[in-house]
Amino acid sequence: MADQGSYSQHGIARTSRVRTEEQRQRDLDHITRYRDLEDQVRERIKRSDYSPETFRLTSALLKLNPEYYTIWNARRRCLISSSFSKRPSGSLPSKASSTTSPTATTAGSSTESSSAPLAATPPNLASPTAGMSGTTAEETTQYDSSDAESEAADLAIIQSELTFTIPLLLESPKCYWIWSYRLWILEQAISRLPAARARGVWEDELRLASRMLDKDRRNFHAWGYRRHVVAQLESPALNGKSMVEAEFAYTTAMIRKDLSNFSAWHSRARLIPRLLDERGADDEARRKFLDAELNQTREALNVGPEDQSLWYYHQYLILNIVRPSQYPAMAPHFSTTDRIAYLERELDEIRSLLEDYDDVQLVYEALFEYTLFLYHLQNG
Amino acid sequence: MAQKFEQLPEELQLATSAHVKYIQSLDTRKDEYGYWLTEHLRLNGLYWGLTALHLLGHPDALPRNETIDFVLSCQHDSGGFGAAPGHDAHMLSTVSAVQILATVDALDELDTRGKGRLQVGKFIANLQNSETGTFAGDEWGEEDTRFLYGAFNALSLLGLLHLIDVDKAVDHIAACANFDGGYGVSPGAESHAGQIFTCVAALTIAGRQDLINKERLGRWLSERQVAGGGLNGRPEKKEDVCYSWWVLSSLEMIGKTHWIDRDRLAAFILRCQDTENGGISDRPGDMVDVWHTVFGIAGLSLLKYPGLEAVDEVYCMPKAVTARVLGH
Repeated sequence: MADQGSYSQHGIARTSRVRTEEQRQRDLDHITRYRDLEDQVRERIKRSDYSPETFRLTSALLKLNPEYYTIWNARRRCLISSSFSKRPSGSLPSKASSTTSPTATTAGSSTESSSAPLAATPPNLASPTAGMSGTTAEETTQYDSSDAESEAADLAIIQSELTFTIPLLLESPKCYWIWSYRLWILEQAISRLPAARARGVWEDELRLASRMLDKDRRNFHAWGYRRHVVAQLESPALNGKSMVEAEFAYTTAMIRKDLSNFSAWHSRARLIPRLLDERGADDEARRKFLDAELNQTREALNVGPEDQSLWYYHQYLILNIVRPSQYPAMAPHFSTTDRIAYLERELDEIRSLLEDYDDVQLVYEALFEYTLFLYHLQNG
Repeated sequence: MAQKFEQLPEELQLATSAHVKYIQSLDTRKDEYGYWLTEHLRLNGLYWGLTALHLLGHPDALPRNETIDFVLSCQHDSGGFGAAPGHDAHMLSTVSAVQILATVDALDELDTRGKGRLQVGKFIANLQNSETGTFAGDEWGEEDTRFLYGAFNALSLLGLLHLIDVDKAVDHIAACANFDGGYGVSPGAESHAGQIFTCVAALTIAGRQDLINKERLGRWLSERQVAGGGLNGRPEKKEDVCYSWWVLSSLEMIGKTHWIDRDRLAAFILRCQDTENGGISDRPGDMVDVWHTVFGIAGLSLLKYPGLEAVDEVYCMPKAVTARVLGH
């Protein structure tokens, strides 16, 4: 991970801040090499040189410092102005092209402009501001290569960029800039490739998200990234269909590996309403689903009553029982008698936890909260 | 509470002068590799250091004129600020720039020597997503409730909140709420103490605390306290001094700091000090940095540690500053 020096570091043991002369010299050597490289890149950025050579220099600099967001931006500009093909997006028959960029604008205008949309810059699906660049394209657009060739070339660039960032991400899994650069590259796949090709790129990305979560099951960057990748894979732009069953199964697998993974429980709670709707679940199917979730959570609580993750998920299930207007997924049409019976059973089960665990605060908190719920149900 | 702190053993006293010296030394470390690798955080770092010094009662420990000159040297024609000269403009550094200038009472310099107060406001307002109401960090489109809060923070300090669609942004925050009362990075994302701070503070600036489920959120936040007295940022994670700020300020905004054991939190923060060389770390015995230093001190300020200036729980700036700028 890049040294965040005196700004922000986590979990690094405090040591003497006095360096030996040898360490000091090593630092000075690093600084000289780093600043030399940095000067070269910044001098090129200053004269809007986004050539392949600048691109190569950004690779070297980003390997030393993946937090350097300005250099990621320069790398995007290099790709837009010299690497990616410059076909107008309308030439891709498989794509909607209602927001085609003009192909012959901005030539010769000031390179200081901060908002000129680039010629041939594809519309960005995720954000109205993304995909614009602070530079102007060289007006060298030629359409002499066939679509197939330029598609293949674009795909090669996209794959090469995804490969480039993997070791950086493995080393700095919480670096926002790397994640957001990868997403930008993936969005290029949607804009520049036929849907089937682009889909393949995004499917590979889902495997990467799984790999990152295997390394750190609670990395919220990776969980958020996974949700985003799945949403794209489900979208019409990638000829997608719902993946809710597969994602629900993924949360089950993650919870089996580690009951304390609240990220997985959270994701599960978020997926359930859609899951049941898409299954076309009737009241009985919803009741059975709730029973299964309650059983599973209860069993887990018997093993780990100190685990907040389990209790938060249990609260979500209970909210489905007592607050159907806000949480209608699992028990939308229970009678009040049903709700009371379910709640009483949960209270009994929690009381029985006290036989083995009479000093766990969370058990008492649950009894307290759910007893109040019961009182309100019984008294209208 | 003041009485109790005085009864703490020597090593749990606040090492004010060491912290002041530590922060003053941060810009003199140009022979350290880490100094150069962190240039993308320079303006944020200045805000963290300056705020810590003000809370410690040493507002003049950094030279005011150089501070203003440096901030202005980071501004682009677009009105936005980069992290340092030569770095691209970004929401995070722009917010820090506004906070620094407000703190040293130099917002007027934006008009006299900078690109103009309105231009800064326009840079920020242009980053709002007109469909969803949320904000991007820069022209490349990464979106996060951190940027939404940053926009509310800076625009309110500049008196320019009218440049954005506040209602739409508020709707977006509401969409980020979870069943546990917390908020995530975006709709569907897990509750996280840092994002809760950004969402609750933005709702507070917008005057829309009515949207917060205060009972459930207060409970979730208070359950961040672990056996050692420190606070974590999510269930089943380790405690960390920076959450002394994200969690505690959120509790303060909803009027529930008494739901945690404040004395034990203060003791935890104080145990994370390097009393000899200054600075505060994430956990006792770890390397210090200016980020944990400011959030540790801001936490102690909210806990009414004696001798510290009062901190504004919404802005993470001295209360005297926000009162002056916002006219409270």
